[in-house]
Amino acid sequence: MPRRYVQLDVFASRPGAGNPLAVVLDAEGLDDAAMQAIAKWTRLPETTFVFPAVSDDATHRIRIFSPRREVPFAGHPSVGTAHALLDAGLIAPREGFVVQDGIAGKLPLKVNGEGAERTIAVRTPRARVQEIATPDDPRLRAALAGLDLGALPPVLMDGGRRWWLAELASETALRSATPNWDAIIALANATESMGLFVYARSDDPVYHFAVRAFVGAPAQFEDAASGAANATLAAWLAERDALPDQPGGFYRVSQGREVGHDAIIELSIDAEGDVWSGGRAVAVVTGMLDWPE
Amino acid sequence: MPHRYLQLDVFAARAGTGNPLGVVFDAGPMDTATMQALAAWLNLSETIFFLPPDPGADYRIRIFTPGSELPFAGHPSVGAAWTAVVHGLAIPRDGQLIQQCEAGLLPVEISGDHANPRVAVRSPRAKHLQDHAPLAGLDAIAVPGQAAALWNNGPSWWMVEAASAKALRGLKPDFSAIAAWTNATATTGVAMFALEPEADHDVVVRAFCPGDAVNVPEDPVTGSANALVGALLHAQGWLPGVDGRYIASQGRELGRDGRVHVRVDDDGQVWIGGQVQQVIAGTLDW
Repeated sequence: MPRRYVQLDVFASRPGAGNPLAVVLDAEGLDDAAMQAIAKWTRLPETTFVFPAVSDDATHRIRIFSPRREVPFAGHPSVGTAHALLDAGLIAPREGFVVQDGIAGKLPLKVNGEGAERTIAVRTPRARVQEIATPDDPRLRAALAGLDLGALPPVLMDGGRRWWLAELASETALRSATPNWDAIIALANATESMGLFVYARSDDPVYHFAVRAFVGAPAQFEDAASGAANATLAAWLAERDALPDQPGGFYRVSQGREVGHDAIIELSIDAEGDVWSGGRAVAVVTGMLDWPE
Repeated sequence: MPHRYLQLDVFAARAGTGNPLGVVFDAGPMDTATMQALAAWLNLSETIFFLPPDPGADYRIRIFTPGSELPFAGHPSVGAAWTAVVHGLAIPRDGQLIQQCEAGLLPVEISGDHANPRVAVRSPRAKHLQDHAPLAGLDAIAVPGQAAALWNNGPSWWMVEAASAKALRGLKPDFSAIAAWTNATATTGVAMFALEPEADHDVVVRAFCPGDAVNVPEDPVTGSANALVGALLHAQGWLPGVDGRYIASQGRELGRDGRVHVRVDDDGQVWIGGQVQQVIAGTLDW
């Protein structure tokens, strides 16, 4: 039986610049083995499968698979799936929210705007300051050497995963920075953190900050679009009263250009102090998927 | 402007067992950089783009991996011919079509029902270049005393015959040793094969290319390597099957189960083909 299928680019400033995601819009009848096989076959970082909601307080139910295993929760697949469902007219926001049900429980997604301007955000785990350090801290010195640092001190944030955040003096300094990978790996291992997340204020008309995420452990790579790490930055900026002067604590971040991507991530802080992280998505492939049951 | 788009499973008796292929229709207005960016984003082993053919050809394609353009490749050509027939881009004459790709004009054979035809493409002529004692730890399961043979039909593969199909299926290859060998010899990879007479296939093939494709160190179903296995078996006079036709099994060790139909004709030319499953059909907006 053919099923509705969409392949989207999530957090993309233009097609091809974001995180790809496959969505099977009507997944009823597919068993776990078939979902895993499809997620392997699409060769994308994640494939989601949509089922009808089983309770009135959710708009839809999803399962998320990487090519290797089922993932209980992930931000960009949740955002992208909600975009695909709204595009197809299969769900509608209730008072500005849709509610996804899944293995990790029910999750509200905040919907702003319509059509090509629509953005969708997930609430991120509450992040807190773990430790404020100085640039000459022996654990940090090598990782920060050669970077043109900004005014705020380096800080270890904990938002489920731990990240060292460091402000750089300018967007130019950020974009031209060369990570010292050995030092970043050592820092990640010594402090049980993901690694180093650098940020700089920007004068760009579209985004307010440019960021780069250097993951030192468990693997070593520069991440193209980091929803959770950006949320810890928002919490840190709020703590220091350093958020851009925008209504609702809303601002945009540019990430990933240095690794061939060009993501735009939107952050906002609500009245309770919770950070929401999200963005747009653009459908690239729209059609039907025919997979034997 | 939206393009028609298909995602096929090639060399597959059922969806999910073969080698996926992205197919973009009406790509005449697309420039090379766009095709490359799209192939990278789709992240399939290959994506093909249909273009208006020049006189003398029935259809024209360009073939891209996520990293580069290929002049010719087997599984994209099989998928292209299948698409051309099933979606009416070309009408076979006497069971034949001429494919235009960057490597030139290539004949394609079409048989069976046009709603689900069987397709075979002629592989570029195979050349035996040199021999070498098997390296990279593969000598342990190779036929004793038999050299690894370097063959080329576009890509260059070191061909190593395994002493038994069981040993080949159970092999846990040392990818870093294979990468070192193939990089040092500027070759695509190592193709291992063994006769395995079973009901639905005759030969088992595994293709290791860790130096050429770091993210895909073992290819699930490989047209070029299978064509070289056919050429080598023909040259040695050990071709299994009937009338120069046999079926190879590849990819089971990777959770796939591809079937490649190989035929060596009277001129010693190797034709490869197989079944195609259409998994995704829709439009593509870029």
